[in-house]
Amino acid sequence: MADKSFFIDTTKCMACRGCQIACKQWNKNPGTKTLQRGNHQNPSDLSFFTYKLVRFSELEEGGKTKWYFFADQCRHCIEPPCKATAESLGSKAVSRDEATGAVIFNPKVKVKAADFQAIRESCPYDIPRWNEKVGGMAKCTMCFDRIKEGMLPACVKSCPTGTMNFGDRKDMLQKANKRFEEVKKVYKDALLANPDDVRTIYLLVDDPKKYHKFAAAENSIGITRKMALKRLFQPLSDLRQIIG
Amino acid sequence: MKITRRTFLKISGATAVGTWIGGLGFDLSWAEVYAQELRIKGAKETTTICCYCSVGCGIIVHTNAHGKVINSEGDPDHPINEGALCAKGSALYQIAVNENRLQKVLYRAPYSNTWRGVTWEWALDKIAANIKKSRDASFMEKNAKGQVVNRTNGIASVGSAALDNEECWLYSKFLRSLGIIYIEHQARI
Repeated sequence: MADKSFFIDTTKCMACRGCQIACKQWNKNPGTKTLQRGNHQNPSDLSFFTYKLVRFSELEEGGKTKWYFFADQCRHCIEPPCKATAESLGSKAVSRDEATGAVIFNPKVKVKAADFQAIRESCPYDIPRWNEKVGGMAKCTMCFDRIKEGMLPACVKSCPTGTMNFGDRKDMLQKANKRFEEVKKVYKDALLANPDDVRTIYLLVDDPKKYHKFAAAENSIGITRKMALKRLFQPLSDLRQIIG
Repeated sequence: MKITRRTFLKISGATAVGTWIGGLGFDLSWAEVYAQELRIKGAKETTTICCYCSVGCGIIVHTNAHGKVINSEGDPDHPINEGALCAKGSALYQIAVNENRLQKVLYRAPYSNTWRGVTWEWALDKIAANIKKSRDASFMEKNAKGQVVNRTNGIASVGSAALDNEECWLYSKFLRSLGIIYIEHQARI
């Protein structure tokens, strides 16, 4: 199985939340408490039982209301900091499939509250969630059980607009770049969020902060982290190959 | 660069891993995840049409050996949705597997504040009798100008988005034969 990636074209998203529900349904996650908070976003945040969430950001600009839809989920980083942090704490809760690149949390592995905090804070996108009762962590699994059988992740399959895309990384990058070139002509601020660092590539048409606080990683940090990880992981992964 | 707690941990987490060697061996948690089987493997697939709006998306319902619904998702071979579904369609599974689902017909008599369970036969007969009663009471042969109208103003029909062309034809024939003229579709309300 080749290296996989998501391409999420937010310009096509109409926030129907089909992906959010399909994710819940496939992962058999229970409903969480919802509340009217003055906008359409529900539940308010990702949780141990909510791996995918369409965020609704309403901003007023020049007397006009602007709406930013952001179908938030795990980025399945190329070099996942959550995994590095978990390993540094001696936890085996985070693993990565070498073939697809899927970063997977094992919810059965117990993680202490303090360790979870460190793991969560190491994530530039604020994805990891923990449940006190279960004592484990959970997040998007890239529908690993599905993609292993050649099926699309539940969220991608359900998407009616073509916002959610999934496939081999090189195809997704190509698709993302092609669409970026098109969109750039209309939206001068358009960008692909951290395409070289993550496996969930978002196409945004405005400042990422307007979509969500953690929509994109701060650039300077990204480089520092990448450089640090590259230096650290290279001998490690070589060694791993030798040991098998 | 401003180092916040978040960024500090990002860097320290990455640095600490270099000194930690426990992760080099066989990763048991990964094997456990990998062994997870597709939960709809070998399930029976039945096609259906989404019951919600008038788009009529095709859905595949997966049932296990005991005939219990275990999953539902868009039908990629259906020409209307090609596998895609909205939030409501994606939640179709909950119609079958839901503790709040009604198991029998509930009837609340006029002026009563409680529901009681009744049989389908009883309910259908009751509906038919009520239709007949309202129709007979409100039937109008001629209007104020003396023109023949043969209509009933006492009943209206609202629905139904999920009917196909032929069903709509049959349904409107049925309504017109009763003399109903208020025929509306819920999508316009």
